[in-house]
Amino acid sequence: MNALEACAWLAHSGIGNAIRQSTWGFALIEMVHLASLALLGGCLLVAALRVFGRILPTCAIADVDRNLIGLATGALSALLTSGVLLFADGPLRYYANVAFRTKLLLLAAALAAAAVTRRLLGQTPPAAAASPNLKAATALTLALWLGVGIAGRVIGIL
Amino acid sequence: MQSLPLLCCRWLEASWVGTTIRESDNLFSVIETTHVLGIAWTAGLIAIVDLRLLGIVLTRSPASQLVRPLVKLTWYGFAWMFTSGFLLFWSEADKLYFNPLFRAKVLALAVLGVNQLVFHRGAFQHIGDWDLALNPSGSVRLAAGVSLAGWLTVIALGRAIAYV
Repeated sequence: MNALEACAWLAHSGIGNAIRQSTWGFALIEMVHLASLALLGGCLLVAALRVFGRILPTCAIADVDRNLIGLATGALSALLTSGVLLFADGPLRYYANVAFRTKLLLLAAALAAAAVTRRLLGQTPPAAAASPNLKAATALTLALWLGVGIAGRVIGIL
Repeated sequence: MQSLPLLCCRWLEASWVGTTIRESDNLFSVIETTHVLGIAWTAGLIAIVDLRLLGIVLTRSPASQLVRPLVKLTWYGFAWMFTSGFLLFWSEADKLYFNPLFRAKVLALAVLGVNQLVFHRGAFQHIGDWDLALNPSGSVRLAAGVSLAGWLTVIALGRAIAYV
């Protein structure tokens, strides 16, 4: 089964049909998507603000990561699940949407950048300031997530 | 006899700015995008602060080290949300005036405003007393709970406005 066939299968699946036929189904899933976007965004911003030395001066950089990773993972799971459900509303339509494809690429890049950033966070000794590499990786991760958000909004406009 | 708020909404929607946003191909969508992405900045930062005050995340760090530096940043975020939101409202004020979910969103924002004011005039003034508390007092946790629930409501209503 190639990607296009998988999209066709999803479009005609029980989930796809249920979301399309429900009046508020799509809107409710969008709300979950936006609320988890807020939560993940909050985690990313707080971690970034700590890396750049703006908040929580006595909390080690690695500890901020340890404290927020559970919440961030939960928010990301909710984002991905609701995202797949939104996609199930019209897989064939989204398959051809340039903004959707761009969003998937940016998402893959953002996840990779986040993994690199977390590795650098974990390597920062307690009481040490962020290394230039960590600052660069943090800024790149934030920029890529911003790109994911913008591309996501453009999907609905194209 | 039309009410004054309704007349204001009619006037806003018919004004040059309202018409320009409404009739442009992309302007509404562009403003909406900045409004939606501002959620992460404003509601996201507020949510992390609320979760700290509820004793759920970052509990080993003094609350003031999170709350104090974020107050200004959150206000900038709110100003961003309010400005972009008002521009969206401007373009269809007459229609939104009659939208019950828009009215509910304004009400929820007012509740959040009062909640914020009560917290900042009250418990926040003596944050030093509970700075290191793993589980701050009832009034602090109440303010955080109302804030979390309120922002969730605002996000849900904001999305739902477009569906009625």
